[in-house]
Amino acid sequence: MTARDRILSAIRAALPQERPAPDAISAEANALLADPDTSRPRLVAEGLLDAFILKAEAIGTTIDRVGGMEAVPDAVRRYLSGHGLSLSLAVEPAPALTALDWTGLDTGTTLAPDQPAALGKALWGIAESGSMIVHSGADTPILLSFLPLHHIVVLQESDILSHLEDYAAQLAERPHPRNAILITGPSGTTDIEGSYVRGAHGPGFLRVILVASTD
Amino acid sequence: MSAPEASVQVSFKNRAKTALADRTLKIAIDRTTGTAEAKRAVAVAAFPEFQAARARGRAIKDHVIAHLDHYLEQFERNATASGATVHWASDDAEARAIITRICLDAKAKLVTRSKSMLGEEIGLPHALADAGIERVETDLAEHIIQLAGEAPSHIVWPAMHRTREQVAELFKIAHHPPPSADDPATMVQSARRELRAKFLGADIGISGSNFLVADTGATCTVTNEGNAELTTTPPRIHIVTAGIEKIVPTTAHALSLLRLLVRSATGGELTQYTTFHCGPKRPGDADGPEEMHIVLVDNGRTRMLDNEFREMLRCIRCGACMNHCVVYRQIGGHAYGGTYPGPMGSVLTPVLNGLAGSRDLPNACTMNGRCAEVCPVEIPIPTLLRAWRIRSWREKLEPGSLRVGIGIWAVLARRPGLYGLASRVGVRALRLFGKGGWIARLPLAGGWTAHRDLPRPAGRTFMEQYRAQQAHKGSRP
Ligand code: SF4
Repeated sequence: MTARDRILSAIRAALPQERPAPDAISAEANALLADPDTSRPRLVAEGLLDAFILKAEAIGTTIDRVGGMEAVPDAVRRYLSGHGLSLSLAVEPAPALTALDWTGLDTGTTLAPDQPAALGKALWGIAESGSMIVHSGADTPILLSFLPLHHIVVLQESDILSHLEDYAAQLAERPHPRNAILITGPSGTTDIEGSYVRGAHGPGFLRVILVASTD
Repeated sequence: MSAPEASVQVSFKNRAKTALADRTLKIAIDRTTGTAEAKRAVAVAAFPEFQAARARGRAIKDHVIAHLDHYLEQFERNATASGATVHWASDDAEARAIITRICLDAKAKLVTRSKSMLGEEIGLPHALADAGIERVETDLAEHIIQLAGEAPSHIVWPAMHRTREQVAELFKIAHHPPPSADDPATMVQSARRELRAKFLGADIGISGSNFLVADTGATCTVTNEGNAELTTTPPRIHIVTAGIEKIVPTTAHALSLLRLLVRSATGGELTQYTTFHCGPKRPGDADGPEEMHIVLVDNGRTRMLDNEFREMLRCIRCGACMNHCVVYRQIGGHAYGGTYPGPMGSVLTPVLNGLAGSRDLPNACTMNGRCAEVCPVEIPIPTLLRAWRIRSWREKLEPGSLRVGIGIWAVLARRPGLYGLASRVGVRALRLFGKGGWIARLPLAGGWTAHRDLPRPAGRTFMEQYRAQQAHKGSRP
């Protein structure tokens, strides 16, 4: 008997003989998520955008707002100069980002060990928690979100969802990526005496460039 | 009872005694648990729906446990379809063998590891050492205790027993260059520098899993540091170890439990990084491991399904019960002697290691109920600890003197006349040991009087005084 058989038969021996059909089990599981509003936090502001900004800032994310994608390189430049960093960064190889006019900035798609910043794109934001979502893919190396000290993320205002469940629904509609990541604030730790320190292994600074909806 | 087991019994008491005498330990525990307790209270107060969320969390876990075989098979199908290899381990030895085999087959020299209590439970650190593989712990707290050669003392803050000064001592020796100061920020920077090369040079990354999502085959890690993704992305192989009770039906269920987990653990709302790992690198993916292995571990969990400890399978390992436990806060995690300390550990250690060697743990509880009050999935921990006490009694594991003592008490308690007589004699005899208002030393009660005095009793029993008072009242108009 394999370990798999031993484990499954031990479970079956302990559970009742009469078991519902798989469809009935799924229905029961779905029912457990009914009326989500009764057991999830309310948004901290009326609109999704305002709620997202309040939550993101509360956890140490900083925000810049621009009118369109073409304004992103300038916003990046502002950020880097504001932090006294060299005008050099890794840009995720996504066409929406690489197609922008990066004149005056030194950009590449990989992060050199001494390069302090990387720019990526979030698929969604979540107003409930100020989180942003990144999926791995051909033009989304996961390490670009973790290796730099400064992580800059472009997010469309129109991609802000209300609650975690709304993201789960989006995820369920498409093939699951290798990594689906919710990023909620800059990396931190409380491992030494419970005192909070930023930039443990991941980025110590998280900047969001919010791009206004064009319509 | 055999001799080795008696020595374990002694050693819990000895460990607790040593811990109680350690003032630095007390300072370290107070700093972290105090902050954790305060932050959790704020997070719960800011979430009026917390109680409803708790009931939902409990229902989700109960549902999964009632259909555990169904969900495990569904998970296995989907994880396999994503390209991962699923392994099953009945116990810790099987789990260790599977993992070391994968490491040896891959000729791995360097393994990075992201904190997982299950890894500790199955003895992974020792197994890797025995196989001659260098293991680097990447969670900051695990890095600290690896340098100190210790086991975790808390399931969320494994190094909480160490003060910043003690951490600074360790880093000064181990880090090149050593940190320039001993404030937490400088030391965290130093660890960041020190571990960077390890992340990028590892052959295999090993992580635990907070949730196994049945309908996608993904495993979920949550960290504040970002070390899980740095552990699992660069190496060629990612190995996940997970207890079979970690399963949830869908991503939405996992996220709903996450709201409870993080608030209860650290008082945050979400951890900085919540990642669902689904299979190895896809064709065309920019990065990621080429192989992913998931080891599903039973190790006693199926034994809990049909007995009084089933509710413990709901545990999401948030650590709130230990942060709020008066005993844990006095003695810290190491005194418990098992992988899991505090109230939840006192329920689990007898399952994992046997009751005979760990029966002191369920006894070292004041039954104040704080753990059950804060548990985000409503586990009635005191009831479960009482269940162990009952078993311990039935299985005759208590020392003879205790059984005789309780036996005598039971004889008296069932005979009110005799009981009254015995108490009348008892209170008078006790007065003989007292000086002033207190008793500082008493035969057979050293466990009490070593640490505190016992009030010298009144010369008469409660019933004697009560009757006298009633008679007195009766005589008044
Ligand atoms: S028993 Fe409850 S409070 Fe304790 S760790 Fe588990 S879930 Fe958290």
